[in-house]
This record gives sequence, structure tokens and C-alpha cells, in this order.
Amino acid sequence: MGFRRMDPQYIRNFSIIAHIDHGKSTLADQLLLKTGAITQREFHEQILDDLDVERERGITVKARTVAIPYKHTDGKTYELNLIDTPGHVDFHYEVNRSLAACEGALLLVDAFQGVQAQTVANAYAAIDVNLAIIPVVNKIDLPVTRVDEVLEEIESILGLDPYTALKVSAKKGINIDDVFHAIVDRVPPPSGKADNALQALVFDSKYDSFRGVITYIRVVEGTVRKGQQVQFMRGGTMHQVLDVGQFRPRMTPVESLGPGQVGFFLTGVKEIDKINVGDTVTDVARPAKKALPGYKKPKQMVFCGMYPTDSNDFEKLRDELQRLSLNDSSFSYFPETSDALGFGYRCGFLGMLHMEIVQQRLEKEQDVDLIQTAPNVTYELLLRNGDVFTIDNPQDVPDPSTIDEFREPIAKVSYILPKAYIGPIMQLCEERRGTYKTTEYMGSERAQLVYEMPLAEIVYDMYDKLKSVTSGYGTMDYEVIGFLPADLVKMDIMVKGEKVDALSTITHRSTSARRGRSLCKRLKEEITRHQFEIPIQAAIGGKVIARETISALRKNVTAKCYGGDITRKRKLLEKQKEGKKRMKQFGSVEIPQKAFLSVLSAGDE
Amino acid sequence: MTYRSVYVHVPFCRHRCGYCDFTLVAGRDDLIGDYLDALDLELKRVEGVVEIDTLFFGGGTPTHLPPEALRRLFEIVLSRFRLASGYEFSVEANPANLSLETVDVLAQAGVNRVSLGAQSFDSRSLAMLERDHRAEDIELAVRWLRRQGIANLSLDLIFGVPGQNLAEWRETIRRAIELQPPHVSAYGLTFEKGTAFWTRRQKGQLEQADEELERAMYAVAMEELPAARLVQYELSNYAHAGFECRHNAMYWSGEPFEAFGPGAARLIDGVRQTNHRSVFTWIKRLQSGESPVGETDPLTAEGRARELIFVGLRRTSGIDRRIFESRTSLSLDALAGGSIRRQTSLGLLEDTGTHIRLTREGRFVADSVIAEFL
Repeated sequence: MGFRRMDPQYIRNFSIIAHIDHGKSTLADQLLLKTGAITQREFHEQILDDLDVERERGITVKARTVAIPYKHTDGKTYELNLIDTPGHVDFHYEVNRSLAACEGALLLVDAFQGVQAQTVANAYAAIDVNLAIIPVVNKIDLPVTRVDEVLEEIESILGLDPYTALKVSAKKGINIDDVFHAIVDRVPPPSGKADNALQALVFDSKYDSFRGVITYIRVVEGTVRKGQQVQFMRGGTMHQVLDVGQFRPRMTPVESLGPGQVGFFLTGVKEIDKINVGDTVTDVARPAKKALPGYKKPKQMVFCGMYPTDSNDFEKLRDELQRLSLNDSSFSYFPETSDALGFGYRCGFLGMLHMEIVQQRLEKEQDVDLIQTAPNVTYELLLRNGDVFTIDNPQDVPDPSTIDEFREPIAKVSYILPKAYIGPIMQLCEERRGTYKTTEYMGSERAQLVYEMPLAEIVYDMYDKLKSVTSGYGTMDYEVIGFLPADLVKMDIMVKGEKVDALSTITHRSTSARRGRSLCKRLKEEITRHQFEIPIQAAIGGKVIARETISALRKNVTAKCYGGDITRKRKLLEKQKEGKKRMKQFGSVEIPQKAFLSVLSAGDE
Repeated sequence: MTYRSVYVHVPFCRHRCGYCDFTLVAGRDDLIGDYLDALDLELKRVEGVVEIDTLFFGGGTPTHLPPEALRRLFEIVLSRFRLASGYEFSVEANPANLSLETVDVLAQAGVNRVSLGAQSFDSRSLAMLERDHRAEDIELAVRWLRRQGIANLSLDLIFGVPGQNLAEWRETIRRAIELQPPHVSAYGLTFEKGTAFWTRRQKGQLEQADEELERAMYAVAMEELPAARLVQYELSNYAHAGFECRHNAMYWSGEPFEAFGPGAARLIDGVRQTNHRSVFTWIKRLQSGESPVGETDPLTAEGRARELIFVGLRRTSGIDRRIFESRTSLSLDALAGGSIRRQTSLGLLEDTGTHIRLTREGRFVADSVIAEFL
């Protein structure tokens, strides 16, 4: 298929960035609809789909990309490349890579909800890479809006000129032409020359069972064409380009992609972890001198153990994890063993939401009964002998006498919330060892509160806490900024005198007693009574700091068991026994799956 | 092995008590005629006249039937069965509506054992249980039955009644013993799904007795009754030597038995069957020549063996290894050696080498021990 290479001056590359639910997908679809890239019917179906997705979790995990041909009022046809960004806090790096592939961004803000935590985070990320930012106030068709206040927020919090903001309704198609004009007029065209050595940024990848890995690229310099031998500069691997194409919005083959263009290529590679987001593609025959900046290996910050309840399911779990990782290179898994749980995997995630997504997929797409241990963050240890290493499993904490510094990841957290909730949220942050940074007021009603907090204190349930304390009005965003030494200890749990390794946690010494008590209490609730007494103890380095006792069964007798009762009573007992099979036998104690997660909520009294 | 025992279910009562989940229709005496006709049809399954050792009429309340109907009931059943010498012929009765005439009918039919639903001797518990008799009615019923020569009496008692305290339970036991029955059944109140009590407990309108109190009440029964020579021979049953209920003992040793009536269960050729639990459906099916069976529970050889442990452990004499093995062709230790060792080490099971049986402590938590063997 012939395709005339685009002159970069007619190319515009942009992202839409927004807080969850502010209408990103709808605006994207409206742009497609207006240019005829999708039909009215597809538009409606799309909206329905998005609603479903939002209902489920409200996130775009995978970025969507589409090349939109647009005939401008100047009579010229432009190629507008929309590069969608993952909409969640756990995917900062992916967002940054997508933004790095653009020259401009539409900053979408809900006309009623206004600037929210992720609006701020995304706007700053776009400012950091020098994008032209076009503020767009969306949903102006809503019966109640506060457009003027939202414009004020855009100015006061983000430092953007409110007079440059567009006012639209993506859903109703109001003022969509303004959006096109702004993209053409205000987003700079890409630079780059077709004859230069190839430099293309990998900003996403996707696994397809027929085609293998689809690599999403933005060409910065030079040209990529079918048949070319290319090299991933960071990964070091070389491949032949089997196919090149654009998303219009369906995958459409083209001869080549020139500077400024956005599309995909196929190499036949089957393993997604061989293609790294942020890597630079160059020509083997004429390599670029250096890679594009900004590449990082995805870094898992949250870890948990996943074990099959039935040890016979271990291989099934492995296959399933492998299948999931085909499409998600930011998720890692390594085999591990636990005395309590047997053979399983330690899995790493970018954040809590990422973990939940993976876990939900495992549950939905397979019938392996899983025990998931409470998540923990990565820690850094400086030993007395000078060695520094990181651990992602509480069981790996060495003898405390060998540790010089125990460091934990610290995140910068920003909350945007109605002023009335500042007090309660500050209190929550202080309780969780947060360090207050700033408060900025946004108009008369809301404020942005910034704390630096240990990531461990955030991942457990900060998001849920924020939502409940602020009646759903507060939003948050966080980013890991580094590691700091802290007085951390490993707390073990003993059930009937035996340590259950999968229940060990790393906790701050100052809160360990409280955590220990509440964890013992939670376990007491989760573990059903047995024929004998079960002491539950929390201990640090062998010293017991909390204790609860589950009393033995005292009376449990079927009173009547005559001819007509036998079958029924037997089935009743069999059913109870069946329920026990789903628990993990530890010594003589049966511990239900849920108990392994009780560490999560153990922070509360 | 052919059956030597027969159970007949009589599904009539004046009132359905709040804790009762048995198959019955209360206040529908108009169905008695149809019931008797249907029972006659069901009994046609019996070929010729079969000799049996034990016959048990349960309910419901068999003695709720008017004397004429009760007489017909016995005629229908006894036309199919011959009672072997030394037989046991039991009927359940409610002290509230036991007339002299009814007692006569029982005696004439050859009934030699009556189980009285006494439940309690304190009026508060009787009211809570929705029983329509008073303590005096129990004493009167006992006197009338004895006068007619029915000396093998059993009193059913219930403990753990909401609101009942330990002293009241002791008093009920004391008054039961005072009547010198050769047999007593003492049941912990069970909240069965589908009963009014169950619903009321769900709604928080009824408070189940505290576990420690129930335990203490059970302990009192296990102390006081044996002290009056009523030896515990099953989890809920106590008797003078030689007065153990042979019919019920038959259930716990896994022997075959026939059963008739709605909701009645039988064990024939290793298969458990239960008749349809709806009185109406049971009648309709028999009227239209269909099978009254509602559920069939075929057991594997191993399933049968495990069930034998399940029922066998209810008896204080426990399970005799040799008898178990000769009956099931399976070794008790091969089947459940681990469980036996575990429960023995916990002090809940006693292993004498020839027998396994629950210890006294094991009886308190019998279900948790028995469940191990399923």
C-alpha cells in the first residue's frame, strides 16, 4: 500500500491527560468521530464500553494510540497522532514515556469536579517535558458546573493561562472544532529529519497471540521501514522489521514511518519483556550516536506472595502468571517457598492498583484458589560490612545486628480535598509518619496538601482511608522520591508456638506494638476455634509484644441422630469439612486464606 | 442382610413448636384418613408378613391421632409385620393429649415402650418451647401408662432453652429422675434451618444459650442421670441396664431398616432413601401409584464405612474394630488411623486396642471429632 511520507510540519503529536472520570476516552472518541475515523454507532458503543470499564475500576491501563487525518481550515490535511496515557498513579513512568512521544497535551478538567490530584500530577509531568499544554474544561453541558472556579484553579494550582482554556462537552460534541484548531495552532510540529540516523522511542508494547509483540513507536529522527534491521539500543537486541503500520484506529500497514510519525512495528518477538518501554530503536546499518534520554527499567515497588491453596495447582498458577506477564512487562514473578504456604511466587508490582489488577485477572481468568500474602514494599539495607542490598520479602531480613541502616521508600503524596477535611487527613498522615510539606489553597473551597510519607504507610489502605474520611471528595497522587533510613523491625507471628513465615511483616518500631496487638486480634477473628486452645503471638526478635488466645471448642454436639437424621447430619459435617479444605493447614491449625491478608487492615484498632 | 426393624412416621401435631423441623402438618387432622390410606398403599411394598424385632412409631405425635384412627394405624402396619418374641414396640407420645382411651389403644396393640415428649418441667421453658402441656401432665401420663402395664418409659428432655438457667435444668433433671423412668433422652436445643427459632435467632429476637452454659448443662446431665443408674449409652441417651432403646441402637450400628410415611428414611442394601418430605406430595404419589421416594443416597463401600464411624462414635461403647471390619471389610486403622491418633492425642478419643470411643471431653465436642472421620 502506497503511503506518502508526511512532512513533519503537518504532523501534531499530542496526549490527553486528565484525572479519572474527567472524560478522556470520550474526548478521544469525539475527535475520531468528527474526523470520520469512527462511526456514530462505534462512538456510542465506545462510550458504553468505557462506562463499563469505569464501573469496574476506572482506569485505562493500556495506552491507546491513533493517527487521525484532519482537514484543517487552511485546506491542508494534518496527521494528528493521539497518544493516550495510562490514567493511574501506579503508571507514572508509562505516562512519562507517552508524554515524551508528544509535543503537546490536552489537559482535561471536569467542569464541576475541577482540578484533582492526578490532574496536577499529569500536568506537572507534561510541563517537565516541555509540552505545549492546552487546558480544556470538559462537561460544560452538566446541569451544575463551576467553570469560573475551575479556571481559577487552573491558574492558581497549575500556573496555566486560564484565557487559553477551551470549554467543551466531549459527550455532546460541543466546541470540538476549537480543540482541533488549538491542536494545529498551538502544538508545535515535530522536528527531525528523514535522512538522519534512526531514533524512535518505544512508548508502549502489547502482546498479540498471532503477531507476537506489537511495539509502539514515535519516530524522532530518520525513518523506519519494512525489512529494515533495527536494534534496541538499551536492550541490545537486533530484529528485522516484519511490518510497519499506523493505528487508524485499526492497525494499518504502511511502507515506512518518518520523523514525527507515530505507529507500530512487528518483529516476530514473542516475549514482551524483550521490548522495554522507553528504549530507543535505531538502524543496525547506520546506528544513532546515542539513545533518547529518560529510559528507566520499570521498578516494582510493591510485592506480595501468591500461593495456590492446593499445592497441585502450582503449575497452573505458573502458567497463568506467565500468560499475564505476556502483556505486562512491568509485573514480575519469581518462585519462592514458604514454610507455611509451600511453593508459590513472589510477585512485584508498580503499585497497589497494579497489584489489584493482576490479582483480579488471575481470579477471573483461572480457577486456581489463591492465597495472597499481605503486600509489602521494597526495602534497602546497608549492612555493617558496607554492602547495600534490597529486599522485597520480610523473610529476607538478616540478623538485626548486621544491619547498619534499614531504609524504606519515601513517596511524595499530594492530596486535593475540600478544606473541611484538611484536619482529619493531616492527622491521618501524621499517624502514618508523614512529614508535612505544603498546603496550597485552590479558590475558597479546596486545597492541595503535600506530604512526604513512607510508601509502606500509603500502600496498605491510604486510598480507601482518604475516600472514607473525605466522603469520596479527596483525591491523591504519589510518587516515590527515594529511600530514607528508619527504625524498622521485622515482626513475626507465632500461631500455637510456631512461626508462620507468611505472616511476618516489616514495621516501624514506634508502631509495632499497636500493629502487633491489632494483628493478633484480627487473626483471632479470622481463625475459627479448634479442638484445642490456640495462642497467637506477635514477636520482634523473639520478644513477644502482643498475644491473643483462641479458646478451644467447648460444646459442639449434634443432639439427635436417628434414622432420618443420619444422611442430613452427615452431609452437614461433610460440608464443614469441605470448607476446611480451602484453608491452609499449618501444624495442627487451619488458617483461612483471608487471614494472610489481615496484616493489611491491622493498622486500625 | 434383611431388615429386622421398621419405622413409621406419623406427621400430625396439634401445633408445630418453634424449634421443630420434622415432617408434619399441624392442624390438618382432615388429612388423617388420606394418610392412613396412603400408608396402606405404601405398605403393599412389603411382601408377605415379615418378622421384625423392633417397631417404632415417631412423628409428629402418633398419639395425636384419635383412638379410632390410631387403632387403624396399628392394624395397617401389623397386618404386614409379625413381632418376634422379645420385640420392642415404641410409640412417641405427647403428655398433653394422652387420654386414657389412647393409652388403652396403645396397650391393646402391644406397645411396650413409650417415649414421652416431656422436654422440661419448668413452665417458662415449656412456654418458650411452645409446648402445650404442664409438668403435672407428664406425671399423669407416666401414671396412666404404668397402670396399663407400659413400664418401659422414656422421657425426652431439652436443655439450652433460651432463658433457661442451670438451676432450672437441674430441677428438670431432678423431677425426671423422681419419676423413675428407665430411660431418658437429654437433647441440647438445636436451631435448625427453616424453623421459627432459626429465623428469630437470625433477627436477634431469640438468644441462643451461651456455649459455656450449654456445656455446663450437658455436664450436669452426664453426672446426674448416671447417678440415678441412668447410664449414658449414647451422646444424648441414658438408660437403666437393659432398657437401652434397641430400635435406636440399631441405627447406630448401621443395620438395615425399613421405613414408611412422609419424610421417613430407610437403609436397605446399603442405600439410604428418604421419602418425600411433603405430606401432600407423599400422599399424592402413593395415590397415583408413584414411588414416594424423594432422595436416594447411594454410598460407596468406603462412604458406608465412614458413616458407620460417624454413627458408631455416638455410642459410649464406641466402635469395636472386629465388628467394624467384619461389617465393612475395611480396616478401621487403614481407613482412619491418622485421625484416630490425632484425636487420641488430643484426649478426645480413647483407643483401647479393641475399641475406639469418645472420651468424656470428646462427647462435648463430638461433632468436631466425628467430622475428622468423614
